[in-house]
Amino acid sequence: MPLWYSASMKVKCYIQGMAAISPQSTFEGDITNMPLVRTESNRLACIEPDYKPYIPANSLRRMTRILKMGLTAALKCLAESGVSTPGPIVTGTGKGSLQDTEKFIKEIEQYKETALNPTPFIQSTYNSVNGLIALQQQGTDYNNTFVHRGFSFENALVDSMMLLQEGYTHTLTGGFEEITPEHFYIKSRIGHWRTEPVANTDLFNQELPGTIAGEGSTFFVLGAEANEHSIAALSACKLLYKPDPMQLTATLRELGADADLIISGTNGDSNHAHYYHLLNNTLTQPSIPFKHLCGEYETAGAFALWLAASLLKAGTIPSALFPMVQQLPSNFKKIVIYNHFYGEQHTVMVVERV
Amino acid sequence: MVTAIGDNVAENLQHLRQQKSGLGFTDYIDTIYKQVLPVGEIKLSNEALFNRAGIPVQGGFTRTTLLGLVAMLEALQQAGIRNLSKEPTGFINASTVGGMCDTEKVYFDLINPEKEGDFIESINTLDCADCTQRIADTVGFHDHIATISTACSSSANALMFGARMIKHGMYRRMVCGGTEALTRFTLNGFNSLKNVDKQFCRPFDNQRTGLNLGEGAAYLVLESESFARANNSTILAELSGYCNANEAFHPTSPSPEGDGAYAAMKNALAMSGHKLEDVQYVNVHGTATLNNDVSEGRALERLFGRKVPPFSSTKPFTGHTLAAAGAIEAIYAVLSIQHGIIFPNLNFSEKMEELSIIPVTELQEGVLIKNVISNSFGFGGNNASLVLSKYEG
Repeated sequence: MPLWYSASMKVKCYIQGMAAISPQSTFEGDITNMPLVRTESNRLACIEPDYKPYIPANSLRRMTRILKMGLTAALKCLAESGVSTPGPIVTGTGKGSLQDTEKFIKEIEQYKETALNPTPFIQSTYNSVNGLIALQQQGTDYNNTFVHRGFSFENALVDSMMLLQEGYTHTLTGGFEEITPEHFYIKSRIGHWRTEPVANTDLFNQELPGTIAGEGSTFFVLGAEANEHSIAALSACKLLYKPDPMQLTATLRELGADADLIISGTNGDSNHAHYYHLLNNTLTQPSIPFKHLCGEYETAGAFALWLAASLLKAGTIPSALFPMVQQLPSNFKKIVIYNHFYGEQHTVMVVERV
Repeated sequence: MVTAIGDNVAENLQHLRQQKSGLGFTDYIDTIYKQVLPVGEIKLSNEALFNRAGIPVQGGFTRTTLLGLVAMLEALQQAGIRNLSKEPTGFINASTVGGMCDTEKVYFDLINPEKEGDFIESINTLDCADCTQRIADTVGFHDHIATISTACSSSANALMFGARMIKHGMYRRMVCGGTEALTRFTLNGFNSLKNVDKQFCRPFDNQRTGLNLGEGAAYLVLESESFARANNSTILAELSGYCNANEAFHPTSPSPEGDGAYAAMKNALAMSGHKLEDVQYVNVHGTATLNNDVSEGRALERLFGRKVPPFSSTKPFTGHTLAAAGAIEAIYAVLSIQHGIIFPNLNFSEKMEELSIIPVTELQEGVLIKNVISNSFGFGGNNASLVLSKYEG
């Protein structure tokens, strides 16, 4: 075995339904006529849907933002996929409910550790969104939450692909993340964001330290077999932890040599841009970015998968969403997504037309 | 492993045998409950933990990471692993609040633009992945890594995920477990739910009023059978069955009839291929909260009928170590099989009125133990059961 091995998961599974709440109009809209939401600040916020059709009013009042976004995207995804029960529920989140975590830390201080309301503590637990989905949908199967930065969603995918191999007909698999003003500030202190405001459409004009922050909640129903709901097929997912350039090159060649479109996680951050340069040098097929649409966050890979599946289904790449790309390919069947999170967690996904 | 009753597996075994609890008051957490709420604290300062981990004192290493490192070094040494590059090895870790133990002390400085200083380097320790990566980087894991957070069942799920990756042929060896440090955040969290006992916790006792939190870390080296044999590994036990099931009942409370616990135990046992009568010991979740013990006890009665095997909670020794509990108790299950011991459920005096069963209260030695069920149940309805069996291959 080679020194750098890192197993990949190569099992074909099918996206039977999906839903995305993001800084774009992804929740209601159709990708082919979706306008590009332009942003001027370095913090992209989700366009939140009307939650009332999905969540009873008395529950809504207690829930914080990421719980609402997580549950609602999951419910819409289930409704679109035509499955009656969620099956196993597997998610990824790098930060869980930041709002609740921040609130509970402050209330401990403010009320001097006495007479505390437990709700923010309960909701700050990383698996609270999973628990809510299970509760609302009576999903009593397998339930797991991965919390590993840029590997959170992709580990959920690997887990889901194993579950489908183990005999489940389908899984509900998702990634969710929020960015709060407070956390945006905290991460600015270690150079995560650009120091000057940059419009999302100008993000790739020059490479400078830092990028733009984002958030989103994206869910998929993954099935073991293709059916009339199938939107696209996911055929591989590979995670590389702090790879050296040789290992990354080998993986990109192995999984991407015959792809006809690359979705790149490039984000204009000069600190870690060399990996995306390596991608461009290794795979010379047409390439599109996606971080101008959703911003940078731990589970942005889920948004990239949603984008890949949407494009494969539409059979075309809407130029309105990619004004920075000169020539968009018109015929593509196999997409490779490469993304990394601040140079540490690198992921490659292969998505194909059904 | 490292817990309030020992800095390694041998010390844990010794103190389990001596029925010596690790519960007491905290030296390290800044809380008004210092002399009020007992905890299972590891009486080693962070400086002492750096020393145990064999690394110089430095920024960025939280107590969560240090506890994990101490446990990891023992696990690798015991498995005879000197070089992780020789055999691709994945690492699945578990954590409920990551580096909160240290970041809660500087959080208000982190959000205050007027404060500058070394604390800024601790920003990255806020999340759960930080401890995993620092442990991985220190000991040399460079293959598949993941961190799982399903509350109190986190490290049971880490073991399950690792075992499944082996089963799927992705790896022949995985190291899985979890690490948890005491924090003001979690202590106040559980206390706000009114389920922390001011006395030492009394699992399955009619007068129980709640849990005591604990800290600790534990890792188990899992290998496929064929690899373990080819590698001449000493096989301590077999992870023969497991199940993760969700109860879908309530965000924090289990159902009164223990539906999730019942499903988790039943399916894990079915997977192991063993029958009800083959189970000689159940290391219960047994937090001593009002709801858990009723629910788990009912599940045991439903599953085993009149023949509930000897069972006990080891939480009165260690406290409830949240994300680390599943792995710590999986090691206790292995020790039970290896040494033929059933650990006593400390602090029990009165049978619960809802149940007809009582836990084992005296240490039992010289028992033939072939199969142990280990339970870990958490918030969000996340229930997990493992079956550990004597290896008879």
